[in-house]
Order: sequence, then C-alpha cells, then structure tokens
Amino acid sequence: MTLTSIWLLPLIGAVLIAFMPPRFAKWMGVLVALVSLGIAAGVALAFAPGFHGYQFTEQVPWIPQLHVFYHLGVDGISIWLVLLNALLTVIAVLATPVTMKNVNRFIGLLLAMSAGMAGVFLAVDLVLFYVFWEAMLIPAYFLLWLFGEGERPARAAIKFVLYTLAGSLLMLVGVIGEYVFTGQQTFDLAKLATIPVSSASIQFGLFFVFAIAFAIKVPLFPFHAWLPDAYMAAPTPMLVIFAGVMGKTGAYGMLRILVPLFPNPVLWWDWRWVIPALAVAAIIWGALMAIAQRDMKLLVAYSSVSHMGFIVLGIFAYNVQGQQGAILQMVNHGIIIPALFLFVAWIADRTGTRDRSALAGLAPRMPVLAGVFTIVVLAALGLPGLNSFVGEFMTLLGAWERAPVLAVIGAVGLVLAPVYMLRMFQGAMHGEPAGPRPSGDIYAGQLALVSPLIILMFAIGLYPYVLTQLMTSVAQVGLYR
Amino acid sequence: MMLAATIPTYTWSQALADLGQISPIATLTGFMLFAIVTDLVIPIKRRSGVVAMVAVVGLSYSLGTAVYRWLYAQGGPAYSGMATGDSFALFFDILFAGLGILTVAISHSYLQKRGMREGEFHILMLAAVIGMMVLASATSLVTVFLGLELLSIALYVASGFARDDSRSQEAAAKYLLVGGFASAFVLYGMALIYGASGTTLLPDIAKQVSTLSPTNPLLILGVVLMGVGFAFKVSAAPFHMWTPDVYQGAPIPVTAFMSVGTKAAAFAMIVRVFAGGLPHLAPEWQALLAFVAATSMIVGNLTAITQSSLKRLLAYSGIAQAGYVLIGVIAGGKAGLAAVLYYLFVYMFMNFGAFAVVTLLAGPDGDRDRISDLSGLYKRNWPMAVLMTVFMLSLAGFPPTVGFFGKLFLFTAGVSAGYTWLVVVAVLMSVVSVYYYVRVLIPVWSTTTRAEPLRASISSTSAIALSGVLSVVLGLYPTSLLIAAQLGAGPLSP
Repeated sequence: MTLTSIWLLPLIGAVLIAFMPPRFAKWMGVLVALVSLGIAAGVALAFAPGFHGYQFTEQVPWIPQLHVFYHLGVDGISIWLVLLNALLTVIAVLATPVTMKNVNRFIGLLLAMSAGMAGVFLAVDLVLFYVFWEAMLIPAYFLLWLFGEGERPARAAIKFVLYTLAGSLLMLVGVIGEYVFTGQQTFDLAKLATIPVSSASIQFGLFFVFAIAFAIKVPLFPFHAWLPDAYMAAPTPMLVIFAGVMGKTGAYGMLRILVPLFPNPVLWWDWRWVIPALAVAAIIWGALMAIAQRDMKLLVAYSSVSHMGFIVLGIFAYNVQGQQGAILQMVNHGIIIPALFLFVAWIADRTGTRDRSALAGLAPRMPVLAGVFTIVVLAALGLPGLNSFVGEFMTLLGAWERAPVLAVIGAVGLVLAPVYMLRMFQGAMHGEPAGPRPSGDIYAGQLALVSPLIILMFAIGLYPYVLTQLMTSVAQVGLYR
Repeated sequence: MMLAATIPTYTWSQALADLGQISPIATLTGFMLFAIVTDLVIPIKRRSGVVAMVAVVGLSYSLGTAVYRWLYAQGGPAYSGMATGDSFALFFDILFAGLGILTVAISHSYLQKRGMREGEFHILMLAAVIGMMVLASATSLVTVFLGLELLSIALYVASGFARDDSRSQEAAAKYLLVGGFASAFVLYGMALIYGASGTTLLPDIAKQVSTLSPTNPLLILGVVLMGVGFAFKVSAAPFHMWTPDVYQGAPIPVTAFMSVGTKAAAFAMIVRVFAGGLPHLAPEWQALLAFVAATSMIVGNLTAITQSSLKRLLAYSGIAQAGYVLIGVIAGGKAGLAAVLYYLFVYMFMNFGAFAVVTLLAGPDGDRDRISDLSGLYKRNWPMAVLMTVFMLSLAGFPPTVGFFGKLFLFTAGVSAGYTWLVVVAVLMSVVSVYYYVRVLIPVWSTTTRAEPLRASISSTSAIALSGVLSVVLGLYPTSLLIAAQLGAGPLSP
C-alpha cells in the first residue's frame, strides 16, 4: 500500500480539490503534495541499496485472463524519479498564484498529472505502465488547453496530444507484441527482460515502436516539434512538472524498456546506433535553436531539448558510466529546468517582457534575483561543483567508451551551452540599465520556493556519490542481467 | 398411421422446455402485446407514461429472466435446432434488454419535448429489441432472417418517427431502401449456402461444408453475398453510405438505440453464421472481413474529421468502431470472440451515453446536434460536461476507461492470431480519431456567455450517469465482464 499511496493520494486529492471552493485549494494541494513527498521520502530512506531488483513490491492480479497484474515496485532508477516528481509537485503547487481563475481545477489537474507520472515510474507491469503513460496525458491536455498562455493554447494542446499519441498508440502494439511474441504470455517487465524475443526482425519491430514513443516524449531531435508550442503555452507552475518530470518519463522508458528488453534489434543494420546519433543531433540542434531565440522561455525550452540529448546519449552508451550518468542527469535536469522557467517567469512578471534583447542591467535593480539566477544558470551550463557537471561528464565518458565520435560531437553541446545561457544572463542582468524598469525584486516566498532546488544543485554537485552508489547496483544487475 | 410414425411427436414438456430456452424473448413479446393493448385502452392523457412503464417493466423482466438463466439454467437448442438459449444468446439478451431500458429512460422526456406519440415509440423499440434477441438466439438461417427483418422493420418505422420533419422521413426512406437491399443480399447468400449444404440449420451446415470442397462456387458466392449484407448491417465501409444520413435524420433516441443495438445484433449474426456455421470457410470470410475492417477504420476515421454535426460525427465514429470490432471477429477463437463481446457490451455505455447527452440538447422544434450546440455545456450543466468528457475519452480509447481495455483485448487477439498489420492500421487510425473526439470537448469546456442552465429529467440523468460510471468501472475492473464474455463466447469457440 505504500507505493499505491504515492500515486493514489494525489489523485484522490485532485478530485476533492477540483470540487472545493477555490480559496482552500492551494493549501489543500500543498498538504496533499507534502504528504505524498513524505511517503516517497520514507520509501527512499528505507530503500536497501544492496538489493538487486524491485523493492516495496505490490502485486495483485488485475486482468487474470491476460496475465495483467497491478504490480508496483521501485529500484535504484525509479526511486529518484519518484522523489523528484513528489518534490516538484510541491513546488508546482506552491508556485500557483491563488488569484488564478479556477485555481481549484488547476491544482486538481496538476495533482492528477503528477499522480499519472508517479504511476509511470512505479509500474512494473507493461500494461499498467501504459495505462499511466496515457492517463497522464489527459490532465496535461486540459492544463495546456484551459489554462494555457499565448494566442492559441488549444492548438498547442492538441498538437502535443496528437504527437504523443502517435507514438504511444504504436507502443500499444509493442506492448501486445511483447506479450505474444516472447511466447511467455506475461507483461511483467522483470520477467520480459530475461527473455528477449528470439527473432531479430520482430525484435527490431518492437524496438522501433517503443523507440518512437519514447523519442517523441523525450523529445529526440526530429520528433521535438510539439515541444516549443507546448512549453510556450504551458503556465509556469505546470511547466515545473511538465518540463521537470514528463520529459523524463520518455528517458525512463528507454532505460527501463528499450535497453533491457531489446538487446539486439538488428535488421539491415544495427539500430542501436541510430538513437545515440539522434541524441547527438538533439544536443547540437537544441543548442543552436536556443542561441537563435530572443524569447527567454523559448530559449530555455530549446535548451531542454539539448540537455535531454545528453541523457539519451548516456542511456544508449550501453555501459554503466553512461547509464548512471543518464539517471543522475535526469534528476539534475529535473532540478535545473523548473528553476530556469521560474526565474524567466519572475523576470517577465517584474518587467513585462521575456525578450532578452529588450532587457539589460537588471542586476543592480533586482540583486537577489540576479544572485540566485547566477547559480541556476551556472548549474545549467555544467559548471564543475554544481550538479549538472557530474552527470554530463559521466554520460560523455560512457559515450566515449562506446564510440569516441559520439562523445566528441556531444561535447560541442557543452561548448554551446554557455553561449546561449550566458548571453541570456549577461544581456539581461549586466550592462547599462535599459528597457522596462522592474517593479521590484523577488519576494522572500519565491526565494524560499527555489531554495530546495538550489540546495540540491550544490548537494549533488559536491557529493554525487550518494546517488550514484545506489544506481550502480541497478545499472549493473538490472539492465545487464 | 404412416404419418404418425414419421412426424416426431411434440410433447407438452418439450414445448415448455423450448419456451424456457427462449424465455427472455417470450416474456418480452408478451409485454409488447400488453403494451399495445395498454396503448389502446388507457385514456390519452395518461397513456404515454403508462406505456413507458410497461416497456421498462417488460425489459427489466426479460433482463432478469436472462440473468436467471445465465446463472442457473442449462442452455441448449430449442425448436428442433432453429433457436438456442445458450450463453452467447443470453449475453446478448442482457445487452439488448439493458439497452432498451436506457433508451426508454432517455426518450420519455425527449418525446414529450418534441410532442411525439410516445406509446407507439416504445412499442417499436420493444419490437426492435425482440428482433435483436431473436438474431442472437438464431441457429438456423431462417431464424436469422426472421430476427433481421423484425429488427429492421421496427427501425425503419422508428427512423421516420418525426413525422413533420422531412429529414426524418428521408432517413426512413433511405434506410428502408438500403436495408431492403442488404436483406436481399443476405437472403441470396443464404439461398446459395442452403443450395450447397442442403440444410438451413447452422450446426448441420458446418458438418456438411466440411465435406465439401472450399472452392465450391456456391459456397464462395454465398459467403461473399452474406458478407456484403452483414457489412451493410454493421455499417462497415465500403457499405456504410446510408449510416450518416439515417443517423442524422432519425430522432436522436432512435439513433442512439440503433448505433449500439443494430451494430451488436449484426455482430451477433456475423459470429453465429460465420464462426458457428461456416468455420471451414474461415480463410475466405476472414479475408473478406479483413478488407472490410481496414476500409472501415480508414474511411470512418478520416471522414469523421470534417463533420460539424455530432450525429454524423458519431455515425462515422461508429463505422470506424465497427472496424475495430471486426478485428476480434477475424481473430476468432475464445480470446477474439470474448473481446468482441466485451467491446460490444461496453460500447453500449460509451456510445449510447454520448448520444444521450446530445438528446438533452434537443428543443421542441428539432434536434440540436451541431458541435457548436454543445458550447458552454460545462456552465449549463457541469455533470453532463464531465460525463461527455468520459464518453469521448472512452471512445478515443484513453485509459482507464472501457474504450482502452476493449481495444487492448481486441488488439491482443488480433496480434495473437497473426493480424498485426490490421492492428497497426487500427492504432494509426485511433490517433486520427483522438483529434475529432477531443474536438467535441472544446465547446463543452469553453467559457462562453450563453449559460442558460440545461435541465435534464431524472430518468435521463440517471441513465447517462449510469453509463458514465460503468464506462470507467468496467475498465478499472474488467475481470468479471471479461469472464462473462468468455462464457458467452464459449458455444462458438471450440
């Protein structure tokens, strides 16, 4: 029941809060999110690092005719993402302004989306995974559409849903194919990992449908067209978990399903090279697009494409360093991206514009914001001592071991990151004050909101050993059998 | 003396046993006759409510009988093998009786609003339900045709029930002509099969056909002609042309009833005749149906995108859904047929619910079924907005609604039977379908100025709410219904 409560509690809270008077909504939401975070933290504390396999498992027959189980569990990969999701949910709810129209429904939908994502990380049964995977789309769609910003949020919302569904419905064929073609008639991820499909062509077919679904979700280079629209339309509190966690579900799927279930997808050529190649393309393309943007929100959105490329590159290094780095980087990116979006939103709130070229010299006028924003920007571009450095270094190390050329091209992304990040930061913060005058610095409450993220940036950057130690056992045993 | 020796005696106990096998049908027929008498006797002011009550009681009684027989009685052939009371028939009896109750529940206030004669309407619905039940119980080509015509003729009349509405009249005329055409196809096919096998009883046909060469032209032609007729009845492409016009013209409760009932009954007929009577010709009819299924999914989903009328949109969606269900029929076996039965049962709730919400919008002058007529539904009646969302998400196949699990079972059966290509077509087209189902939701949740509250009668509200709740509950807990569907599929899957 422990793991069940991690996703069920926010869902029940979501339904209750949606029908509550708006003035209680935010604090009820915070309460629910905090309790859920507490449970997740309890699980993390009781987590046994040396144990190989899923822990805290719950297994109940769900559809016995198809051997579908309600099967939950956490291991060294998922526990971090569950924690991240719970933490970011608290921040997202706290970041919601109480003055928002229909705030009760907004918070209800936020919690429902968070519940869906928690389910994705907890599920050990492929059908259950799929159910959560699609169910989390419904609140995301309504959030984007009903509360979206910009001119045509409905359009961005339907684009996001159709893109994602094009992948995930194909994945449904893959899910069924795993059940039929392995000859084992099981959806259990742990069991399926031990018995890959024998025929190489079928294995490739299944690899292909899963890969498309996850590549769209991450998103990987040619599948990212939904992201700028969706991120631009998304309201900031939603972005905290939308950018912070939902993209990770795709990367998590790759690590959990693509790598262990399809060790040898070879048809015509070895398709295990295609995805890292696309990941490298995403790193470069995302960085170049970020450099070209003037709107800071869009800039951060494209930087996310670039950073997610590192994660995928690490996963498809097919070695321990790379995958460990990828998991670490999932957590890191989940800490940095929400902070970046929050700061951009606060700057826009104080000055009335997100155009980086219209702003200059904000630092003396908003010293606190400038100071904290410095840390976030430095973390985002991978400064040693802050969290992102370790993860990116490990993914590149892993990629080098697989093929030096991947690491070399990927490293270009590391060079490009300071270009767009520092250009944005310096342009807006330093120099002669120009453009709209900010109405004030950030509030203490807002500072408190990002403080857990800032603390984590330092903590993971200076002492990544705790996380990687827990992950090592999984990466070695869970994924390599 | 010679005659007495050759004609088997028909004893009273045999007669009672036969009647027992078809008791859901027999009770409902009795109630229908009673309803006709009531409609004649009761003074005109009180007539409509009383006939509606008789109809509901009759349908409930029939439902109860079917459930009782499902639980406690031994199903078997009746009337010398012309009909049967097996679990397949009972499964559909329960479905049709439930559908009938839901239809009466939503049509009472609709008919009053539009000022239509209520008594006749309910009697026609009862007749149609009886026809559907006969179809599900039929184990002879003759009984199949009897049920088909009983169902169709009642619905021809019901489609034209809005007598002062020319579109309704047009729908009735079109339905009559195309339906007659389809019936002729079926009848011709049956005649050829009879010619080849020398019997009309489906189990005997199965035995005879196994001794014949599968390339026998009579058999092939018979299968093709029946397949075409059946495709007309399930409104599968390329034989779907009548569906949008008839669905749009007919009064909405009739459309709601038809969209679920006719489809389920026609699928019962296809399974009975093809899987039950012609298993040895499976490669032939599977190829035919695979073509029809793929065309339906592609044509239905792509055409639905451009519709601005909800009835037409749901008609095209129904064409596409017929394609999904056909995958299960083609896959066959216990898993395939159980998936078909599960899907048809849950389709009743999601599709009927969607139509039922549209029913509420109708005004005294006619149906309001443009997508824009839904605008502000959330402000006008928020429970209906939530329920409409559930129905649309379910039709689109989002978990955790029944639509997803139905598709999961159908597609699993399809892939297991080696029809992966058909399943791939189905999922690609499902992506398309999400676009138009979600498009319906945009006006529902939009905040417009028009916010006069939308009143719904208690019976309509409870019917729609029940459909909505079951659309989720049967998905979260599909086991029981799936077991029932497997039992129902039992008699036809060796």
